[in-house]
Amino acid sequence: MKQLKILAVDDDPFTLKMLEKKLTKEGYDIETASDGIDAGKLISSKFYDIIITDLVMPGGVDGMDVLEKAKTKNKETEVILMTAHASVENAVEAMRKGAADYLKKPINFYELTLRMEKIRSYKKLMKNAQDLREAMDVTEQNAAQTIQHLEMSVAELQNVVSEINQVIMSQNIDPRKCVDRVLDILSS
Amino acid sequence: MIKVTTDDIKAISKYILDISGINLDESKAYLVETRLGGLAKEYGCSSYGELCSIAKADSKNTIANEIINAISTNETLFFRDAGPFEVLQHKILPDLIDMKTGKASGHLPIPIRIWSAACSTGQEVYSIAIVLKELLPDFNNYNIKLFGTDISDSAIGQASHGTYNKFEIERGLSKEILEKYFIPNGGNWKISDEIRAMVSFSKQNILKPFKNLGKLDIIFCRNVAIYFNLEDRKKLFENLASVLEPDGFLIIGSTESLTGICPIFEPKRYLRTIYYQMKKSDLQTNV
Repeated sequence: MKQLKILAVDDDPFTLKMLEKKLTKEGYDIETASDGIDAGKLISSKFYDIIITDLVMPGGVDGMDVLEKAKTKNKETEVILMTAHASVENAVEAMRKGAADYLKKPINFYELTLRMEKIRSYKKLMKNAQDLREAMDVTEQNAAQTIQHLEMSVAELQNVVSEINQVIMSQNIDPRKCVDRVLDILSS
Repeated sequence: MIKVTTDDIKAISKYILDISGINLDESKAYLVETRLGGLAKEYGCSSYGELCSIAKADSKNTIANEIINAISTNETLFFRDAGPFEVLQHKILPDLIDMKTGKASGHLPIPIRIWSAACSTGQEVYSIAIVLKELLPDFNNYNIKLFGTDISDSAIGQASHGTYNKFEIERGLSKEILEKYFIPNGGNWKISDEIRAMVSFSKQNILKPFKNLGKLDIIFCRNVAIYFNLEDRKKLFENLASVLEPDGFLIIGSTESLTGICPIFEPKRYLRTIYYQMKKSDLQTNV
């Protein structure tokens, strides 16, 4: 599977640097933004698999706005929110808006990479399911064409057989005419 | 995982056939393990034969229902395979409305009754409802009844709730239809009240006598009979014929065939899809 593209957003340069260092070491392809406004610009210009964003940021664009922007742009993007002021209300609100996860600061990097691996497995499963559906669709369409063609041909042949049957069963018809009628039916 | 033995597969497949009509032969042993393994463990059974015995002894049928929920396949999509919905929109509904308008007396709304037999989690019947809503601007001139039934109570539960996750809605629905007929709900989508209100859901084993359905104008019974043996398939389509209006329409799965199964029905082609109607000659002999 291709390397996941990550965007980390935080106004705290220390956290941002740590995220960049640790996640690069883990093999992720990571970019950073120092506030929500910057993040917004990056989100509208390219696709990220995962966005890790701080909840509270200056400049009028907070983590919840980044989440909304990311989900509107592409629902495939998964968003992890981080906050020093974790509250159940905030977590619920974030999940309701489609966040994949909600982490408390200071970040436990071991926990973060575990969550990211979970997202990676989930994406892999989704891709696998999509591929299977595609394969099923193609097989189904091919089979459907063959079966439907046979279904119509059998029905037509059955009609011919029952027409011939009617002619043969009719009592008062001279055998010569009967053969002619049957040949007519067969040739039509 | 509890391994399935030859004796087990005989016992459990006979039991599943009796309660649901689903036909599992020995080649499907893996299905028993993957779909019923958890349930057997939950009830502390050491074999599938034992699961079968405790299910039979359970007078409330709780375990039987859980077995049905686990063993039945709920693969479905909104507008799965465009063909049937094109036929519905461009051929069946216009023909039906023409027929009914001719017969209608006074200004009573025209009744249209459609059944999604084995509707699973509801995607098919809601897709039908959306087609109707899109096609009929003069909606109040019709008395539309849609029925969705399934053998699995958990599937019916989800259908009735009308909530779908992003994986369930991601294919088959255009952005326009999604935004028009669904309401975002967390990461999920819920069917709008106007569409939900058009459909009645109930639990029904389609091999058993049909309850409270009356006569139908259109029946969708797609990819259900594939799980049954030949004898049950014959029974199923004969039963469907008995509740279909004489000019009614039947739609089956795109890879299914009624040849050698139900001669009452005649296949008809519209563009690239086949639908079925009862043969007129059979109708006359039946009368």
